[in-house]
Amino acid sequence: MTLAPPSTRPRPAFSLRRRKVERRPRTAIAVTALFFVFLYLPIGVVTLFSFNSKKSLTDFGTPSLRWYKAFWDDPDLTGSVVTSLQVSTVAMIGSVVLGAALALGLVRARSRFGSLANLVMLVPLVTPEIVTGVGSLLLFRGLELTPSMGTLLVAETTFSISYVTVILRSRVSALNPEVEEAAMDLGASRLQALRLVTLPALFPALLASAMLVFALVFDDFVLAYFTSGVSPQPISVRIYSEIRFGIQPSINAVGTLMLLGSITLIALALAVPRLFGRKGSGLDLLSGG
Amino acid sequence: MLLTPPPRPSGRPTRRSVLRGAAGTLLGAAALPALSGCGYLNTEVTADDLPPVTPEIDGDLVYFNWADYVDPTVLSGFCSEYKVSITQANYDSMESMAAKIAAGNKYDIIFPSAKWTQRMAQAGQLRRIDRSRMVNAPAIFKGYPYFADPWYDADSGHSIPFSMYKTGIAWRKDKLGPALGGSWSDLWDRRAAGYTYLLDDEDEVLGVGALRLGYDVNTGDQHRLARITDLLATVRPLLRGFSSDDYTNILDGNAWIQHMWSGDMAAVLSQADDASIYGFETCREGTPINSDCYAIPRDAEHPGTALLFIDYMLRPENVRKNIAYIGYPMPVPGTEEDYRKLVAPFPDCVVTLDDLEHGYHFGNTTAAGNQARDAAWTQVEAG
Amino acid sequence: MKDSPRARRGTRLWSVLLLPGTIWMTVFFLGALGILLLLSFGTTDDLGNPHFGHTLGNFAALLNPIYMQVILRSLLYAALTSVICLAIAYPVAYAIALHGGRFKNALIAAVVIPFFANYLVRMYGWVTLLSDGGPVLSLLHHLGVPQTFKLLSTPYAVIGGLVYGFVVFMVLPVYAALERLDVSLIEAGRDLGGGPLTTFWRVTLPATRQGATAGLLLVFLPAMGDFVSAQLLGGPQQLMIGSLIQDKFFGGQDWPLGSALTMLLMLVLLACTSVYLRQATREAREATR
Repeated sequence: MTLAPPSTRPRPAFSLRRRKVERRPRTAIAVTALFFVFLYLPIGVVTLFSFNSKKSLTDFGTPSLRWYKAFWDDPDLTGSVVTSLQVSTVAMIGSVVLGAALALGLVRARSRFGSLANLVMLVPLVTPEIVTGVGSLLLFRGLELTPSMGTLLVAETTFSISYVTVILRSRVSALNPEVEEAAMDLGASRLQALRLVTLPALFPALLASAMLVFALVFDDFVLAYFTSGVSPQPISVRIYSEIRFGIQPSINAVGTLMLLGSITLIALALAVPRLFGRKGSGLDLLSGG
Repeated sequence: MLLTPPPRPSGRPTRRSVLRGAAGTLLGAAALPALSGCGYLNTEVTADDLPPVTPEIDGDLVYFNWADYVDPTVLSGFCSEYKVSITQANYDSMESMAAKIAAGNKYDIIFPSAKWTQRMAQAGQLRRIDRSRMVNAPAIFKGYPYFADPWYDADSGHSIPFSMYKTGIAWRKDKLGPALGGSWSDLWDRRAAGYTYLLDDEDEVLGVGALRLGYDVNTGDQHRLARITDLLATVRPLLRGFSSDDYTNILDGNAWIQHMWSGDMAAVLSQADDASIYGFETCREGTPINSDCYAIPRDAEHPGTALLFIDYMLRPENVRKNIAYIGYPMPVPGTEEDYRKLVAPFPDCVVTLDDLEHGYHFGNTTAAGNQARDAAWTQVEAG
Repeated sequence: MKDSPRARRGTRLWSVLLLPGTIWMTVFFLGALGILLLLSFGTTDDLGNPHFGHTLGNFAALLNPIYMQVILRSLLYAALTSVICLAIAYPVAYAIALHGGRFKNALIAAVVIPFFANYLVRMYGWVTLLSDGGPVLSLLHHLGVPQTFKLLSTPYAVIGGLVYGFVVFMVLPVYAALERLDVSLIEAGRDLGGGPLTTFWRVTLPATRQGATAGLLLVFLPAMGDFVSAQLLGGPQQLMIGSLIQDKFFGGQDWPLGSALTMLLMLVLLACTSVYLRQATREAREATR
């Protein structure tokens, strides 16, 4: 079975990508450099203070691993991180599936539902999380559901769907339908065309929204607080609760470890396909190359 | 080939589709009352008809508290001694705690403030605690008779005091001198204009206004609240912010004057390079005093374990560890000296029996009073 | 073309795809919201518990000009944040997409990676950086800036914090759109005599319009409801509506009033997005033909 190429746009006879479009845009590159500095400055602070021997967030003493040890020794903290990872993964999968279906349907369906569904998809973005949280809490109570990991997953998936749909909508409406129609002319059913042509074409946007949703859900504390059960609580809830008595430096250790974990994962995603002899790297798909 | 977007027709949603959409939503909304029913918010007042808790291990402990409010080694000590595990959950405010309980989550032990202990006890949401069945509790009530029958819990039948604290003012001695005026009007000190913080707490801030004007700190009276908001409007231009991150603000250098909880001064002591530049005072118009309590919710599935946990936490060696960890004093006889030494540079942080008797307590008022206070607080906050 | 008779084959697929997502959202999200809408007609009892009811008192309380003031301020902040994010996202996405070369994937991953460290922790990193005793101000004082200059508790800090929190939601969709852009369009624009800015304005921007719109939605709407940035980085003059709503639920305890305030906020936001909604409905209309 041959996979359709990720790009559905007809390619020019010669490769444009090797030709320089224009001379290097100096301002754009300067802005980008500044942007990365801005983005990583607080990360620098977080990482630096995760090695702080003192319990302070403002005063650096001497380098020490005590907070990493404290994190490792605290089953509550480690358990919370594991919970958050689990919840984020499941919510990511659920919302990408539902959101992709919704995006395709919204752009292409010829039903009267279109505008209502559009509104429904947009409303979560407009709603402050605390409202979604309290509303969900009341809803689950009304449905006689005790808050648990399940209710947490439902709530997180629900609010993530909007993000996926908004991102995918713009990609779906930019797709060229001629390639799908060509596939159908060649005998593919509608479903097959969807699976073999459309979805691969959407893969970069799917991946981008998946990553975004994962990070969103992992970070979310307001909604997570109201819809999670007694235990285990996600790490984000734990961190937000520390606001009264001050964020513990072991949280900096958690943040740094999370960064390391995500860098490793992404580096793997970049390197592994290369090991299997594919030209280019896995994340090429993100750029559609 | 330039790809231009196809010309768009000047279409608008047809009346039919909008009406259909509206009808659908209304139908959905109309179905909700059928779903909801008026009483599912778990708000009914229940009779206090369960027997007092028996101190026995009846399962693993489900613990619900502020984050980092107890020394972790004390918690793990309980686990190893009684061979149970502790599941921790945290809240970030009393209201959120109440919401989680109302949602149907079952916790074994919670730490409500005095005001909330009163509310929950009145609603029948707390189990009765018979202190004669505890080993370490009676000493508290003997040493601190104030807690034997406090205003928030008749006969302390549903709670045991955990920690206590006052509200005062912390300041930078190097910027404003070795002493301030000892009054709430110090928050209006023009020398610290733009470097003053008030706590982000409705009761505390309205309390400042009430104390300066000589009113009841819990007043729900519209006219008095109007005067309070007028007074507080005069401090707003001098404020840098409303923030409950009190010790961070003062340590960071962002605050020269900070509306402060006494227990947090211990954090200042432990984290400051040079603690001599900070000061803490209580005010002559009146000092708000508050306490957090151990309590066992009505729905607790393992109340016996919870009671044993309270008893364990009240052992003097554990109390000492906790005091050192969080910096807040506890009403356990024998630990006063430890606390005094801990906050030696800030003697005003010590909570004495006298403070408890003559301090001002944030209590509960009527629904109308709450609404008026909430409106006043919005006015103060938003300007 | 979408209207070709061929494309009309099997169109039920798209409507079917619409269904799971819409049903999910309706039950779990609209249900939650509906309960809150009902609650906005309710009351609070002496013990602080909310009850459903039939009063308009909460909406009457909203007539206080304070609420509109705070909403307008939040609109301003969210709008500024969106514009700044747009202004940052285009150069960054442009530089990475069209000039990133083989580092393209790593670069875009580097944009997302910080989000895997907890949001609150990173914002605290900013508080540490921008504090009066912190490195940024010390540097500025060295450079001669007067001692009275402050970074924290200013509107700039709050907007900066909002930009920091939301810029990735703009960069990713714009990047996805630029990535798919046929570079020959830009070349053609240049050939026709346009300078870099003109080409950008008249070629690149319209062609990536959908990505930019997706980004605007994902930045503007949630930024309105944000309370963390204002709480950590702002002062009393920078209070945002998200904090007020938060307070109504978990500062004092007036859930009905909080619900009413939320309804007001949502009305305002839906009015703002009416343009987008009408556009999207137009697309659906066109597809129905």
